Amino acid sequence: MSGHRVAAITRRLLQQFRRDRRTLALLFVAPIVILALLGYLIRGSASVPSVGIVNEDQGPAGAAIAAALARSSGISTSAISAADGESKLKDGSLAAYIVFPSDFSQLAQSGTIAPEVHLEGSQPGTTAPVLQALQAAMVTLVAQIPGAGFHVQPQVSYLYGGQGFDTLDYFGAAFIGLIVFFLVFVVTIVSFLNERSQGTLERLMASPLRRGEIVLGYMLGFSVLALLQSVEVLVFSLAVLKVHNSGNVAVIFGIEALMAIAAVNLGIFLSMFARTEFQAVQFIPLVIVPQFLLSGILFSVSSEPKPLQALSDVLPLTYAVSGLRDVMLKGADLTWSSLQLDVGVVLAFVVVLIAAGTATLRRRIA
Amino acid sequence: MSDLYAVDVEGVSKSFGAVTALDDVTLRVKRGEIYGLLGPNGAGKTTLIRLLVGLVESRAGSVSVLGKRMPDVDVLRHIGYMTQQAALYPGLSVEENVRFFAAINGVEDGVKEALEKVELYQRRGSVVSTLSGGMRQRCSLACAIVHRPQLLLLDEPTVGVDPQLRVQFWEDFRRMAESGTTIIVSSHVMDEAERCQRLGLIQYGKMLAEGTPGEIRSIAGSQNLEDAFLKLAGTGTRS
Repeated sequence: MSGHRVAAITRRLLQQFRRDRRTLALLFVAPIVILALLGYLIRGSASVPSVGIVNEDQGPAGAAIAAALARSSGISTSAISAADGESKLKDGSLAAYIVFPSDFSQLAQSGTIAPEVHLEGSQPGTTAPVLQALQAAMVTLVAQIPGAGFHVQPQVSYLYGGQGFDTLDYFGAAFIGLIVFFLVFVVTIVSFLNERSQGTLERLMASPLRRGEIVLGYMLGFSVLALLQSVEVLVFSLAVLKVHNSGNVAVIFGIEALMAIAAVNLGIFLSMFARTEFQAVQFIPLVIVPQFLLSGILFSVSSEPKPLQALSDVLPLTYAVSGLRDVMLKGADLTWSSLQLDVGVVLAFVVVLIAAGTATLRRRIA
Repeated sequence: MSDLYAVDVEGVSKSFGAVTALDDVTLRVKRGEIYGLLGPNGAGKTTLIRLLVGLVESRAGSVSVLGKRMPDVDVLRHIGYMTQQAALYPGLSVEENVRFFAAINGVEDGVKEALEKVELYQRRGSVVSTLSGGMRQRCSLACAIVHRPQLLLLDEPTVGVDPQLRVQFWEDFRRMAESGTTIIVSSHVMDEAERCQRLGLIQYGKMLAEGTPGEIRSIAGSQNLEDAFLKLAGTGTRS
């Protein structure tokens, strides 16, 4: 073992990086960006789950718990009427509503504390804070009432999902979209870059081929692969993993297919900005990580700090995730306006990316 | 701009940032002629060829190819372009590559003929990534001629090709020229230059001299082309 020879290799490696600013930037800037984003996302969260309170209690107990809930920092409460509860859960303005029935105080005197909790249920991140806040509020109440032997029995019901749902049911829907988008993007950007680096794109551009023909041919070729992959992912998720699905499989497949086509065109477009495969691979953390964090997969978009919500609103994955969750957890079909919006936006992204890929094709080759 | 010329380039200039690749170059190549572009690396040969297929845009002047003002996508189907690097799909077989380039030029047949011309018909099933450099070069040539172009642009086509095959390449070029194909070939190999009907010497983006090999020799007052080239190149000013 020669120290000189080892040193030669080490030195050569560092010299190479000195000339590759982009890689250096990735090594030192990307971790800060990703960690800062994550920190801001979690600590900077502006909103907490909104909970409606329906107090029909004729005694003092309901009001006492409502007051305790109002002081809770984990949720924000507002008084609503019993009739509004369901519709507010459906339109997403409430994560839950809690009903204290007219005999609530009476039952509490006899030792049973039984509020009704109605949860929206499709966002696992909002269910836990609501239940925790209620638990804490009831403990406060119990401490104020002399005597022992209370039965705390909140009656919990879910609009979507519920007890039978596990974490995979919540995340499965989102991951079906993410996996297809991610893998198709990587395959496209690398193969299109090969087309550039091996010189064949130069030959194509010197042939009677039109730019649009190249992009369309690529799109169709990769879309065939991407659609087969989508079928595989879907079958495995639904049949083997038994991820919950309340909606139409064809609609899920349609959203996945749109995401795959968007990923193909994003790959073609971004390959214009990379000179080597090495640089292309660096687009993966830049393109995928922020989308993963901000598309509502882990944290619901409505709970993000406002500036990040604006960012989430321009990411295609946000709409695909929302659409897939609507279909699989809520059983949405194409008559739902929220699903129409999601599908429409994803479709618009596809069109914009096709145009962007086609427009930049000539410039880089010349 | 008569039909006599396959290529009629008038006063073109091109720079990439601070580097001047072409400086007021005029080039006229007759139909059926074999024209050699000579010059050292970085002289502007490749840029001039790319200009002919519309991959580079000229700052000034005009470019006409096969009677059409460039860029014109429809003319491109009559041009065969063999890039310096053997630009092929490494994961496809020889035949699949040639068939692909035939298809994008709107041609169905001619694959077998092209492969026989470059002596790769026996190896047509081989995957390109398993081929030697010379074989790739031959496959690349087959891709450039499969659609029987009227104008063939060859950017250093014989790099990595063994001497026997190189002789045969030139025999083929001559035969194609006789049947009316115009060939523009860039090279810095002087024995190839001798086989061209006319030569253009490029250096630092300028056309230094033009003429038949004999004319070039007499302009320089040299016995052989190599000396003539070195002598003429010496008069070019480094910018």
